[in-house]
Amino acid sequence: MDVAPDADLEKFREEVAEFLDTAPTPEIREAGRKTTSVFGPFDQVMAWHRILHARGWSAPDWPVEHGGTGWSVEQRYVFAEEYQKRGLPPLLPNGLRMIGPLLMELGTPEQQARYLPGILSGEDYWTQGYSEPGAGSDLASLSTMAVPDGDDYVLDGSKIWTTYAHHANRMFMLVRTSREGRKQQGITFLLLDRMDLPGLEVRPIIGLDGAPEQCEVFFTDVRVPQANRVGAENDGWTVAKQLLTHERGGSAHSPMLRRRLEVARAAAAETPSGFGGTLADDPLVQRDLGELEAEVASYEHFEKLAISGHPIAQDPAYPSLNKVMSSELTQRISVLMTRVVGLDGLPDQREALHVGSAAEPLGRDLALIAMPYYLNSRATTIYAGTNEVQRDLIARTLRS
Amino acid sequence: MDFTFTEEQALLRDSVARALQRDYSFEARQAIVRSETGWSPEVWARLVELGLTALPFPEEAGGLGGSVVDVVAVAEVFGEHLLVEPYDASIVLAGGVLAAVGRPDALERIASGEAIGALVHEEGRGTPDPALVTTKAERSADGYALTGEKKLVLHGADADVLVVSARVDAGLGLFLVDPSAPAATPFTSVDGRRAAHLRFDGTPGTLLAADAEPLLRGVLDRAVVVLAAEAVGAMGALLRRTAEYASTREQFGVPIGSFQTVAHRLADMKIAFVKARSTLLHTTALAEADRLAPQDVAVLKAQVGRLGRLVGESAVQTHGGVGMTEELPIGHLHKRILAFDALFGATDHHLRRLGAGLREAPVAAG
Repeated sequence: MDVAPDADLEKFREEVAEFLDTAPTPEIREAGRKTTSVFGPFDQVMAWHRILHARGWSAPDWPVEHGGTGWSVEQRYVFAEEYQKRGLPPLLPNGLRMIGPLLMELGTPEQQARYLPGILSGEDYWTQGYSEPGAGSDLASLSTMAVPDGDDYVLDGSKIWTTYAHHANRMFMLVRTSREGRKQQGITFLLLDRMDLPGLEVRPIIGLDGAPEQCEVFFTDVRVPQANRVGAENDGWTVAKQLLTHERGGSAHSPMLRRRLEVARAAAAETPSGFGGTLADDPLVQRDLGELEAEVASYEHFEKLAISGHPIAQDPAYPSLNKVMSSELTQRISVLMTRVVGLDGLPDQREALHVGSAAEPLGRDLALIAMPYYLNSRATTIYAGTNEVQRDLIARTLRS
Repeated sequence: MDFTFTEEQALLRDSVARALQRDYSFEARQAIVRSETGWSPEVWARLVELGLTALPFPEEAGGLGGSVVDVVAVAEVFGEHLLVEPYDASIVLAGGVLAAVGRPDALERIASGEAIGALVHEEGRGTPDPALVTTKAERSADGYALTGEKKLVLHGADADVLVVSARVDAGLGLFLVDPSAPAATPFTSVDGRRAAHLRFDGTPGTLLAADAEPLLRGVLDRAVVVLAAEAVGAMGALLRRTAEYASTREQFGVPIGSFQTVAHRLADMKIAFVKARSTLLHTTALAEADRLAPQDVAVLKAQVGRLGRLVGESAVQTHGGVGMTEELPIGHLHKRILAFDALFGATDHHLRRLGAGLREAPVAAG
């Protein structure tokens, strides 16, 4: 075991701090304050992505040969900590943490050369076309058809919960190419180079938090080149499962949870408890705050073990363990936020949440985001495979 | 950053596991608990032979110069096997103090396993904080006289060396006391270990160290890491045994683990175990690097106590009726975790300290 502090780490921290203090525009900072989801305000997040890319820092988790930073685990945590301290909006995960790493593993050299640079730079935003109205947890029952025709596939059907599809210029998706055999066997993984293809229609869905984050995508005779397939025809289930390990897998996520908890702690000191003091002096709130602090610490420890190469990350249950822990912790912190903000969380402030909005926010900073963040966070235990499915998967690895 | 055991540590762990598998089956352990002494001098001799009693001590005291990581590596195995021999009391707690005050003469007999030590500190105030000790020591003609009540002292009635914390002048002192001097109420703890309440009534003591608060904090913090390792070892055993049981026990014609409610309870046990073990290993690495802060110890103590209880209660529920019997290790593993939770400040105490902002408090020495 070794956690000796690195003497150069503080110098690195200063370098990171200096950049993060000066590089983001006021709009990007405002977007950070108005982020109530994994998916922050689109235009500002992508602008920030391109600024980070210009500095070479858009993908700390990527291998160096594809444009990663080559930072040590400690450096990645320092970067995440400084990033969170300033409340900057997180970069969108679909490219950097999902399709990018997947293409590095399973894409052809041509696909890697064609797509990875745009993911790294933030020129492209990829939406994920997995779920369908009839295929949620039972994803393998998806029915959007892709019929070969010449060099193309012709697509018919629909996808749902395609996050930010109305902003996307690319899409990765699962389609059915065969109805023979087990339902998992007739699935193919496809890449869409553009979203303005003839026959493709995107409709945003307004969520509980009032934001059009999710979409439906409809396909009517949409032509996609067969060369845009990842892996073999009918072998898309293998590809999808590989991608899910990235979607559920880890990075330095705990500094964000810690930051949110600190925001809640600070707000508790401004909210009357109803017993004469503030919620920060309330023994029950202290106990709950302490439990969440301990839980965030354990999650951070788990993350650090995994990133530093401890065998815990080779556990077949690892992606599911990570997904359950991180999503449930996110929800618990969001619940605490609504508790400590009290009545101030009730006004519907969706107008004021837009970057550049003329609407004056009501109440303190947390009042603007606590409720939409809480409502949006209900999705964390539903997306990327519901936590019920994750628990099934964890239990399966325990059965002898 | 590295949180793995070295090859040497893994080998040591394996050899301890093999020895305990052979000599410390659950049945053998139960016979030892029921015996007159309550622990086995033969097993103790095996631990001495394996070098475990000398493991964490400096070479000038006959020790092997091992680290806290070495001790954690074997303590997980101790917990899995529900060891009742006085390793925590003698090596981790009393030995820890004697090593920290630099008394190789007194330490040698502990390291060789020849004498058993006990740390007499707990007073049942809900916190291990040395600042709150009320037992006091007053100067007498030939040293000090100690007065006060101490509670749940592991091996407090059968130790050869008693190290006692007591308030002296404005500070905290540590004293050596003749083991036959205090009035002892001996008992067996719910987890099978021998322990005692001790009453001091002007009892003579020899000063080991004055102004010993930081020193004692350091020893207690490291002891919590080792005790947590035992509890995490017990959690691992509960998870493994419960998963096996759910896979083989059939009701309604199928293994009970095929029912989703049972499967999800198993998944929750695994999640709890992984969290607790991650925190154990991370905190152990910090202790090794001498970077342990009060909040790290509070997090470890609370998480292992709280998550351990969840794992133990889930194991009993999943085993059903047989989980309620003394015949199975399940309940005994659970009781070891309950004992861990109750000692040195229980879950709620540490969580409330964390929630009240201990993070911002200055880092105490040690």
